[in-house]
Amino acid sequence: MFERVLAYDFRWSILWEPPYADMLLDGIRMTLVVSPIAWGLACMLGVAVAVCRTAPWRLPRALGTAYVEFFRNTPLLVQLFFWYFGVPQLLPPTAQNWLNSVNVPLLGLTLNVEVWTLIVGLAIYTASRVAETLRAGIQSLPRQQTEAGLSTGLSRLQLYRYVILPQAVRLMLPSLTTEFLTTYKNSSLGITIGVAEMTFATRQIDAYTFKGLEAATAVTVLYLAISLTIAGIMAIVERATAIPGMIARRSGGMP
Amino acid sequence: MLSRVLLLMAVMSVTLGGMANAAEGTLDKITRGGKMVMGARSGSVPFGFIDKDNKWVGFSIDLCTEIKNKLESKLGKKIELELKEVTPSNRIPLVANGTIDIECGSTTYTRARDETVDFSLNVFFTGSQLLVKQGSGIKSTADLAGKRVGATQGTTNEKAIREVAPKATVVVFQDHPSGFLALEQGKIDAYTTDGIILAGLRAKSPNAANYEVVGDFYTNEPYSFILRENDSKWRDFVNHALMEMLEDGTYFTIYDKWFGAEGVVPYPMPAAVRTYLTMQVMPK
Amino acid sequence: MNFDLGVFTPGNLRFLFDGFVITLRLAALGIFFSFWLGTAAAFARLSKRPWIHYPAVVYIEAIRGVPLIMVILWFYFFTPVFTGMPLENFTSALMAFVIFYSAYLAEDIRAGIQSVPVGQIQAAYSTGLSTFQTMRYIVLPQALRNTVPALVTRFIILFKDTSLAYVIGVRELTHSAYIISQREFRPFELYTLLALIYWVCTFSMSRLARSLERCLAPDRRVALKP
Repeated sequence: MFERVLAYDFRWSILWEPPYADMLLDGIRMTLVVSPIAWGLACMLGVAVAVCRTAPWRLPRALGTAYVEFFRNTPLLVQLFFWYFGVPQLLPPTAQNWLNSVNVPLLGLTLNVEVWTLIVGLAIYTASRVAETLRAGIQSLPRQQTEAGLSTGLSRLQLYRYVILPQAVRLMLPSLTTEFLTTYKNSSLGITIGVAEMTFATRQIDAYTFKGLEAATAVTVLYLAISLTIAGIMAIVERATAIPGMIARRSGGMP
Repeated sequence: MLSRVLLLMAVMSVTLGGMANAAEGTLDKITRGGKMVMGARSGSVPFGFIDKDNKWVGFSIDLCTEIKNKLESKLGKKIELELKEVTPSNRIPLVANGTIDIECGSTTYTRARDETVDFSLNVFFTGSQLLVKQGSGIKSTADLAGKRVGATQGTTNEKAIREVAPKATVVVFQDHPSGFLALEQGKIDAYTTDGIILAGLRAKSPNAANYEVVGDFYTNEPYSFILRENDSKWRDFVNHALMEMLEDGTYFTIYDKWFGAEGVVPYPMPAAVRTYLTMQVMPK
Repeated sequence: MNFDLGVFTPGNLRFLFDGFVITLRLAALGIFFSFWLGTAAAFARLSKRPWIHYPAVVYIEAIRGVPLIMVILWFYFFTPVFTGMPLENFTSALMAFVIFYSAYLAEDIRAGIQSVPVGQIQAAYSTGLSTFQTMRYIVLPQALRNTVPALVTRFIILFKDTSLAYVIGVRELTHSAYIISQREFRPFELYTLLALIYWVCTFSMSRLARSLERCLAPDRRVALKP
């Protein structure tokens, strides 16, 4: 087995030679731009949906539940195809043209319709998971918090904003970190709708040089390095924002 | 306990090393296993595609089936033909790593690729062109400046379009049908791959009249089947089988089925191509 | 473009059904094998012996840091380079899923094991049970009962992720729908149907799990975790 490894003609220099190094760097940049934006949108949407699901009124609860049940239970790949190919089929030509001409330059990349579809698709999918996580957090808070808040005259919205959400978010921070890491890994699905992120760069370098093993090794190491960095940073953030006496033990079993 | 574990590990590495060392030729492997693994495309019309009845058919698939038939008569035993789906971005690695024995699709023979894998005789000749919507105003690669052009990852066209139209934005898809649908939805202004495939995609689409294939060939694309590197016995067999087919006319019958007047993509064979193909037939 | 259900001809539906069968096979085998490997990895990580503990940690943390697509690509393209044995695309996909999900299951199961009160283990040792017997008769049954919600969630995710086998050409449900949709130019109809099929499957799986939970832990009102 080891002779085969040694017999393979490794050419690590492709990783820093000009056209291929640029492909790799562009891929890294794309992943690092898409993930946080998608995550930010997902959080905003997720908070809104979580609030809906824990509201005392039937309609928001039903809408929230429908949203979560639908987007959490279908594969992300199918959702991406749906947004990229499926939805434009129904739009009138003017809307289609407007969508296709979207072109936002950011940090040296151009975010075109493929990238935005990936970001929005990722955000909608992740928001359903964030909403579930936050709902679990909100529902694990003692009922007295809600009652006390309302009895001091806070409106429902203020209650969520000042009492419930700050606690729920801090409580669920480990799970939310996992969700962010999942988003960052899910961005690799962009390859199927034409987004040139890190996994795409591996395949592209393989197509041009037939030395895919080197590229795949480099990209795998990079994914790991970025994951570990994010996990490390979030561990510091968790410690800094933890509420004394209310810390959920970091359960490695959370998805 | 520890010594037992170490002994087990030693035995395993010797066995695995031994296994890997038995690098037999493809022909021997097929003879032994009774199975020929063919890599075929599912979106390259009409070389390998899924038709309306959801059957996997194509010009290259037919040629390879003939090669299998010749193998059966040579070996005197039944050989099972297994089709595996390949895409432009994985066809070469899959032949190189031994997963498939021969790739029968629409692969261009290039010298760069020849360093990693080997190729059979040429089976078709075409060139890169553009597919656009009717009335788009794009007539050649010069008109692509500032426009979005689609290509498939791993094709020669994707590399070439970047050089030929540097001011265009290239959107890279994983296979041709995606690119074509993107063109239909206006996400790209043009889709580029080999002219014959563009004609095929157009012929098989629900609304062929909306599209046209434009532009001169901006690259030359001679097709061959991909074979494993340094495997002369297998390569000789495949080439001799193709020569026999060219000699006895089987090749031209199959060509007519796909590219004749009643074929999927009518494309009369240029005289120069016919001469070249028949001149590839070496004396016995 | 408009909406047209005419794309769902019997031939196309049959093609989709064949793909669905492959999805079910992939998911079932994936769930089965990853459960066992995950349990083994969980115990390996909890082991006190460093030569078992550290490789398990490296395996689990490494796999959890990379996307599933990369693992699939490794198995399909690069392991044959090392082992000289090419892998069929179904087998590569299956092995990739098993290796990938075992790492996550290992963490879920480990949490379950650690949630069993230490007193149980101490009591077991003090009555003379060996380590293996303790694990098999005392710890694992309780641990698994605690972990069922997390396990089911993980299995549902595995089922959905079988759609990624499409990138290496496995003709499963998503790939079959993709072929028809791109050929007929009817992505909306096909992908909506696809989403509905997955939804029905995962919904049934979670309902099944809820009744399994009620069966195994009737005295506890454990909510299905997200």
